[in-house]
Amino acid sequence: MARAQSKGSLGTKERSLDSAGVRRVVVWVAVLLTCLLLQSTVFAQIQLGGAKPDLVYMVTIILAYLEGPSSGALAGFAGGMAEDFLLNQPKGITALTLTLVGYGVGLLRAYIVSPSPLLPVFLVGGATTVGYLFFGLVRFLLGEPVGGPGYVVRVALLTGLYNAILTPLIFPIIRRVAESSRTRKVFRW
Amino acid sequence: MALSRRARSTRLLVITLVFVSLLTITIDYREGQSGPLELAGKGALTVVGPMQQAVARVAHPIGAFFSGIVHIASLQSENRRLQDEVRKLRTENTQAIGAVVENDQLRGLLQIKARLGLKGVAASVIGQSPSNFEWSVIIDAGSSEGVKADEAVVSGDGLVGHVTEVTPRWSKVTLILDPTSAVAGRLVDSGDTGLVVGNGNHDMSMQMVAPSAKVNPGEAVVTAGFKGGLYPAGIILGLVSHVAPAEGSLSKVVSIAPVVDFSSLQFVLVVTGTRPVPPPPSPSPSASASPSAATSPGGSGG
Repeated sequence: MARAQSKGSLGTKERSLDSAGVRRVVVWVAVLLTCLLLQSTVFAQIQLGGAKPDLVYMVTIILAYLEGPSSGALAGFAGGMAEDFLLNQPKGITALTLTLVGYGVGLLRAYIVSPSPLLPVFLVGGATTVGYLFFGLVRFLLGEPVGGPGYVVRVALLTGLYNAILTPLIFPIIRRVAESSRTRKVFRW
Repeated sequence: MALSRRARSTRLLVITLVFVSLLTITIDYREGQSGPLELAGKGALTVVGPMQQAVARVAHPIGAFFSGIVHIASLQSENRRLQDEVRKLRTENTQAIGAVVENDQLRGLLQIKARLGLKGVAASVIGQSPSNFEWSVIIDAGSSEGVKADEAVVSGDGLVGHVTEVTPRWSKVTLILDPTSAVAGRLVDSGDTGLVVGNGNHDMSMQMVAPSAKVNPGEAVVTAGFKGGLYPAGIILGLVSHVAPAEGSLSKVVSIAPVVDFSSLQFVLVVTGTRPVPPPPSPSPSASASPSAATSPGGSGG
């Protein structure tokens, strides 16, 4: 009897975990889709010095910073693949770049213990720059036009700078979404 | 132990994702424009296109606003550059308009000279009378160019006035608007004559017109060209603007609006003499045989 009761409560727990997971996936898919739409409309107009901020990079890095390497890698892969497909770019390059960026930032977070509120700003700026350089390198190796190494470096630095500037605005939103989508654990005494 | 298992699963996940990405890149490059990934991309674009359009419609002003902020420095410099360009173009435009007006006046002058068989000295108007009671202009031709007092002055549009003062380099021309000016005029339609007297800034008045004369508003008035007068015949003075009734009066008073725009007068011709006007070429012998006296000014200059 007691075993049956215990089995029943376990099933309910699993179901609630599953529904929370599905909810989480839906929330992050919606976030990434919104980012892509904003990236291709609003942010596409904000171009300065030949570069514009990249919202998908920013969200991937912030998510990896908040949730860890596996969430970062998954978000990067999904966001990158969606960007490649929806914005009609060569398929897979952004996905590969953002997967590695998400994973890298997630790993790096475990080694950084600084309480500075500026940490996400520097992390987003640095990771965006590195990601863009990697993206340019992969494109170059695949024979895609990149506009020369000088152009890639300039765009990478500027995009990193713009993303870093926008981080104080975007970071609180993503953190809030991340907190609301987490599975809530209830401890009963 | 659990931590290491978790790290291992994360690594496995990343390796899988990287592998899938590389596989996607490979397939995309091998298949080119006709592969399944390209078709999937097009399908995704079809789905997301309307969403993009909707977002763009809502978010465009926001993007434009931020874009404006971002580009404020370049917009300012572009604004300065465009303002400079507008200033330059305005100057050029003014010069071009001036050239067109100048060209029109000179062409008119040549036409009137040829039509009426006038001989003369071309001159530019270099000044106007500062007085409120005198309507005259100064021209840059004087006795050294052969200009003499009492010679008629015309522009491309019609009669301007006559020379009243001459210096070696400049001359003063009293306009037909001046109240001291009186020109023998002839109504083109009826042939009636009268004396066109200047009236300052108002229309000139044609006096001594026979009460029985039929005068129509809009009718042209030309110089009568009486023998011994100052003005050659046939130069247009103005158009009838108003006809006062002549009840109980010995003559009719007709108002004449001048045809010359005295405010923009630039070039004039001081008429020093006339020459016979050759008859216009006729298409048929019968036409050439007809008398051409109607078009001839008569040559009664001076």
